Amino acid sequence: MTTRRGDALAAIRYLAPAALVLAGLLGYPIYQLVLISFYDYGQEQASGGAPLTFIGTENYRRLFSDGQFWAVLGQTTAFAAVCVVGTLLVGGALAVLATRVRAVPRSLLFLAALGAWATPAVAGSTIWLFLFDADLGLVNEVLSGLGIHGMSGYSWTYDRYMAFALVAAEVIWCSFPFVMVTLYAGIRAIPAEVLEAARLDGASTWRTVRSVILPLLRPLLAVATIQSIIWDFKLFTQIYVMTGGGGVAGQNLVLNVYAYQQAFAASDYGLGSAIGVVMTVLLLVVTLFYLRALRRGGEELA
Amino acid sequence: MRIGRGLAAATAAVIGAVVAVGCAPVQARPDADAGDSTTGTLRVWLFDEATRAPKEAVVREAAAEFEAAHSGVRVEVQYVQVDSRAERFKAAFNDPKSAPDVAEFGNTDLAGYVAAGGFADLGADLRSWADARDITPSVLDTAKVDGRTYGVPWFVGIRALYYRTDLFEELGLRPPRTTAELVTTARRIRELRPELYGISVGGKYTYAMLPFLWAAGGDLARRDGAAWVSTVDDERARAGMSRYAELLRDDVCPPAQCAQMTGSSSVQAFAAGKSAMTIGGDFNRRAVDAGVAAGRYAVVPLPGEQEGSIAPAFAGGNLLGVLRSTQHRTLAVRFTELLAGKKYQRKMFDAMGNLPTFTDLQRAVAEGQEFQRPFVTTLTAGTRFVPATPTWAKIDAQNVLPTAVQEIATGAKPAPEATRAAAERMNAAFRS
Amino acid sequence: MRWLRRPGRAVAEVLTVVIAGVVAFPLYWMLLTALKPEGEVLAANPRPWTLAPTWENFHRVLTVSGFGRFFLNSVIVAVVVVALSLALSFLAAVALTRFRFRGRTVLLVMLLVAQMVPVEALTIPLFFVMRVVGQTVPVLGLNHLGSLVLVHLAFSLPFAIWMLRGFVAAVPVELEEAAALDGASRFRFTWQVLFPVVAPGLVATSVLSFMHAWNDFLFAKTFVTVEEVQTLPLAILVFFKPDQNDWGAIMAGSTLMTVPVLVFFVLVQRRLVSGLAGAVKG
Repeated sequence: MTTRRGDALAAIRYLAPAALVLAGLLGYPIYQLVLISFYDYGQEQASGGAPLTFIGTENYRRLFSDGQFWAVLGQTTAFAAVCVVGTLLVGGALAVLATRVRAVPRSLLFLAALGAWATPAVAGSTIWLFLFDADLGLVNEVLSGLGIHGMSGYSWTYDRYMAFALVAAEVIWCSFPFVMVTLYAGIRAIPAEVLEAARLDGASTWRTVRSVILPLLRPLLAVATIQSIIWDFKLFTQIYVMTGGGGVAGQNLVLNVYAYQQAFAASDYGLGSAIGVVMTVLLLVVTLFYLRALRRGGEELA
Repeated sequence: MRIGRGLAAATAAVIGAVVAVGCAPVQARPDADAGDSTTGTLRVWLFDEATRAPKEAVVREAAAEFEAAHSGVRVEVQYVQVDSRAERFKAAFNDPKSAPDVAEFGNTDLAGYVAAGGFADLGADLRSWADARDITPSVLDTAKVDGRTYGVPWFVGIRALYYRTDLFEELGLRPPRTTAELVTTARRIRELRPELYGISVGGKYTYAMLPFLWAAGGDLARRDGAAWVSTVDDERARAGMSRYAELLRDDVCPPAQCAQMTGSSSVQAFAAGKSAMTIGGDFNRRAVDAGVAAGRYAVVPLPGEQEGSIAPAFAGGNLLGVLRSTQHRTLAVRFTELLAGKKYQRKMFDAMGNLPTFTDLQRAVAEGQEFQRPFVTTLTAGTRFVPATPTWAKIDAQNVLPTAVQEIATGAKPAPEATRAAAERMNAAFRS
Repeated sequence: MRWLRRPGRAVAEVLTVVIAGVVAFPLYWMLLTALKPEGEVLAANPRPWTLAPTWENFHRVLTVSGFGRFFLNSVIVAVVVVALSLALSFLAAVALTRFRFRGRTVLLVMLLVAQMVPVEALTIPLFFVMRVVGQTVPVLGLNHLGSLVLVHLAFSLPFAIWMLRGFVAAVPVELEEAAALDGASRFRFTWQVLFPVVAPGLVATSVLSFMHAWNDFLFAKTFVTVEEVQTLPLAILVFFKPDQNDWGAIMAGSTLMTVPVLVFFVLVQRRLVSGLAGAVKG
């Protein structure tokens, strides 16, 4: 680290552009989000045709007394949990598998994973939707070809849990590569001597994984987990595209889609903002755990 | 340093925005006064249709006529999906620069759009327009909010029961005469022809559901002084909704397919020969004639509870209106008058089967038009409308009624619970 | 990895290849469907190959529905976002790794927290902010690509800075000292020495910014309602119809949308992996 005079001044110059953008387009909107959630803010107010009324926590009161909000919050949490666990399990298992095979199969796996990773969310959703289409989908064709009764014309998006499962499968498909790649790099970074020592002690593979690799990977795992939680909790595109905006009778709504509907379809921007605030607060709590995990992992920030 | 300058501009804009709004939530500046330029591009939004080509042809003709009569004017038409109209119009009201000058919109959305300050009062313009006197008064009422007129009725939309004559004959059935018979007939058809839907209707097809609700003696809401109170959870309304939901069952129209169907997909299924009956409007004729059901169907009024009665139809229809933010007010009004005038309503009738809104024109087209009779009969038997309040658009956008129907149909909630939840959400919207 | 080497490796390798096939299959199916003639797409028994590949779906997508225009819009947004975010995040990363000043740790923590903000929750305020901005600078307002550039720039910055920090920190300090001895100013050093050295890292970082802007659905859906300004993700939904989805066109559109990202990814994959590992480790 060089220490020259004028560092602070130079730093300000170098940081200013990014700081301005972040303050204007991230900081200020967060402030606005909180502010709007305390107002009666409908289309009339948005168009400037009616005065704004400060209504305090009225939007929150309405939100918390709405049974649907709690139902949506509950299923968002459960859905995100399934996606996170699935992503970590698949990504972790494949990272370990990748360390056990030679370069050619590993490259194939990485290439395929890279493809899934690179697929835009909308494209991924449409592909999976088509594979699982009731009439023209390959999956129903194969399943009924295997003699499974009632699979011809089966609608995967009709039953609530089936629809969630389908979306979760797509989400895991496009998000496990990140976990796999980071964990693979993490395992590779473990000094060979450590593993050698474990082997000489006569530890089994499973024991080595559990008592040597996992503890060493803990900070990395914590980061991957938190990142996954944040991604999956605020999912929008996949649910919106695959369940047609929230499924039959709104059974597949998640918080983000719900907030979007309240704000932009029903033009209740105040209530929509309140949902956004709740979502942000929940995720910031998760972030606190993340920071703590980083610290405990012995990582230095500076 | 081009990027640098752009960045500076962006920064300035952001800072400007912050300073401009200070501590209050961002709100638009009051709209600049509507302009009245006589040249330029006139932007028109019309609804997309299952079969758009004939509509497009008529509109193109009108646009050409208008452009010929007004030099320096170009008419640009954009077709908007009915499903996404709430967001599209919201965006137009929020960003006047992207808004059209003239737009087609459903009469159920009128109150909400007017409350949002979206459409211009056309009262004075209509008084000086000769055609206006012949608009059926009850139809013109659907264009009014608090005594002011915000649009010109473009066509009347009445729905009735379409059925396949060839199938009914082959299976020895007759058109149903009560709602109960409608259900049993539909069931019987699917029993005999399991590859067909007994009737294709959808969980999201509210205007097909409403006649059942009204026929059972129920209503959506009642007026309580100045306020509205939902009545969808009363016994009769519930019975009507449940009757409709009986159609969304595996033995008629399986919910796995039908729970998410809208009006246009219901009609499309009938047109494609996938169902023996459907509930469709006069305006759906073209779409049906374009499918395999062409020439093998007939239409009767949707029956009510009692034999010989007709279920009250929803007084649907679309209006053409001028947006308040238009910069071409006179041109926009003139174009509205042209497209919604007698000449082009007649052409739209020929092209799409849309029932005209002029009394004399209605009479003229009904003569010798066997097809129109069931719709006119339904119209004269009495029609109903949704509660005339700006909050209806919100209830509609929140899918309150489709959700209740879907819940009953799929068994997710029993009818009393589903309708109670719907009533609560309606009341919450009415109060807001 | 000798500790894991056992006779079971053959099984593991077969398994790996099979899994790779399963993971890649949806993409194969997308490409295949895009190349199938319409009759085969609508056939009741889909076959996993086609004997009559055709460009008809791509042709329909590109000509009939003006997909080219949407593609161009997406490219413009993504490229501008990448360029700006690289410039800004590079400067910020240099400041955060090379300069010593008070409040640096606080800034780093804020940067970390900023990455965690659920940006989707900000749709509502940003919608109104963009509307107001648009009244002053129209190109940055609603229904202009500028509004999308701005939001994605803001959202990709925190992670880009974080990731670049790793690459900049990896450049030996001696290099800077040598430059200083040569009398190079700090500014010149930053752009003429540091920038080229960090370039591979910049490319890796750019993939993520690119993907962010390219994939966005929510903001494009909310901010842009005018057809000419629409980006790819929304354009694909046009082919979902009430009666019969045009799957051939949907898959052709999805292919057009996926290929650029995929190419980009494959090109920078190695840097990406090391960059991510560095960024994740903080």
